[in-house]
Amino acid sequence: MDIAVIGAYTTRFGELWGTSPRALAREAVGGALDDAKISKQSIDALYVGNMLSGILGGQEHLGAFFAEELNLSCPAYKVEGACASGGLAVHSAIAGVKSGQYRTVLVLGIEKMTDHTPEDVAIALMSAGSDEERVSGVTFPGLYAILARAHTEAYGTTEKQLASVSVKNHYHASLNPKAHFQKQINLNHVLESPRIADPLKLLDCSPISDGASAVIISQINMNKTKKIGNSENRLIQIIASAVATDTLGLAQRRSLTELSSTKKAGISALREAGISCREIDIAEVHDCFSIAEILAMEDLGFYEKGKAAKAIENGKTSLVSGGAIVVNPSGGLKACGHPAGATGVRQIAEIVEQLRGRCDKRQVKNARFGLAQNVGGSGATAVVHIFKSI
Amino acid sequence: MTSPVKIWRNQKNTCYLAGKNGKIVSWTIIRSPSSAYKAHAPYPVAIVALDRGIRIFAQIVDSQNKDLRKGQKVVCVIRRILEPDKEGIIPYGIKAKPVE
Repeated sequence: MDIAVIGAYTTRFGELWGTSPRALAREAVGGALDDAKISKQSIDALYVGNMLSGILGGQEHLGAFFAEELNLSCPAYKVEGACASGGLAVHSAIAGVKSGQYRTVLVLGIEKMTDHTPEDVAIALMSAGSDEERVSGVTFPGLYAILARAHTEAYGTTEKQLASVSVKNHYHASLNPKAHFQKQINLNHVLESPRIADPLKLLDCSPISDGASAVIISQINMNKTKKIGNSENRLIQIIASAVATDTLGLAQRRSLTELSSTKKAGISALREAGISCREIDIAEVHDCFSIAEILAMEDLGFYEKGKAAKAIENGKTSLVSGGAIVVNPSGGLKACGHPAGATGVRQIAEIVEQLRGRCDKRQVKNARFGLAQNVGGSGATAVVHIFKSI
Repeated sequence: MTSPVKIWRNQKNTCYLAGKNGKIVSWTIIRSPSSAYKAHAPYPVAIVALDRGIRIFAQIVDSQNKDLRKGQKVVCVIRRILEPDKEGIIPYGIKAKPVE
């Protein structure tokens, strides 16, 4: 069975104080339905990717909540996997279609974070970690700081190299009208920003954002599709969807210089797609902190261990370089923004738009294969999807 | 308030770890903590490898800058881990303290 994304839409990301979660959902889903040119009567099931509605907003039962708002009465589920909730919702939706239970499904990734104080959001985000970690007083930036220090000890990764991830992603976001931060920054801005958890500084960290993104996934007949496909609204085939898990706590991991969940999910996804990572033209990876993009590039196989930081510093993965692969053309979590549950879906919507050639100033030329990697917690969940333009 | 039952349940683990020796594997300094830990910031936290291959995540106490390095020897000590509520019982747990 062939499966494709037939519609995608992402709202503006940012501090959207004037917009409610219901309004975000209406905009994202309305946009995705228009894009797919189908009516909502064709939707057989709704999957909602969300992390914090219960702990921050006091609202659970999100499947029914958004089904009500969208005037749907089909089966509706909330899928939760910390910051990988969006990617996990897409994986679950694909499983629903592959099983034959549903033909066309809607995935909504959504998060409303800026209604709450940063301290409350910090506590809520730590619900993705282990009990031992919460008791120690470590924060999410703290967990990735520990990974960054271990990487520095092993491979000599510098703070300047970490900073170059943020500089690249802010440049990409300056070309993305929906990004949270559309402003370019330089290395000094990052290096001189306040320290959050040494060696990570404020501008090594992704922001707290609001936003929503929706994709519509459907069973397709490839032979028929080729005839009706046009460059304006091409279908994008999903050729792999893989998930792997690891220990919740960082202390229990065998290695601190890799996320083995990303490695495992990456290997199974490439195997399912039947391609090598050299064939991937664009990737949206989970750069919740600068070190996370470096780890992702290595764990997914794009670079050998210890080689990614230098490559990123030399601009090899930037839009300007026109190199073998462009990473986070949207601006990534760092600069496009990171509404936790929306991110995994937003990454996929970006890959779809890139493969369709509709990304205007940030368009990567002649992209055929795209990969999205979404991480939950400090790597306890990793989701990898691979897409192909038809 | 932390449930007294939860504290009681965790005591076995606290007693088991108290006094155990280990080494720092990787560490950071938390400068922007959640509200519950605001009064303590900045404070170091670390992954500590204990003898016998157990690894724990713990706050480092009674430390100086020179103690914050990979391989630094530490010992597990019992410390208060959170501010108790007015009528709650005081939650104790494990923190790690550098030794020579």
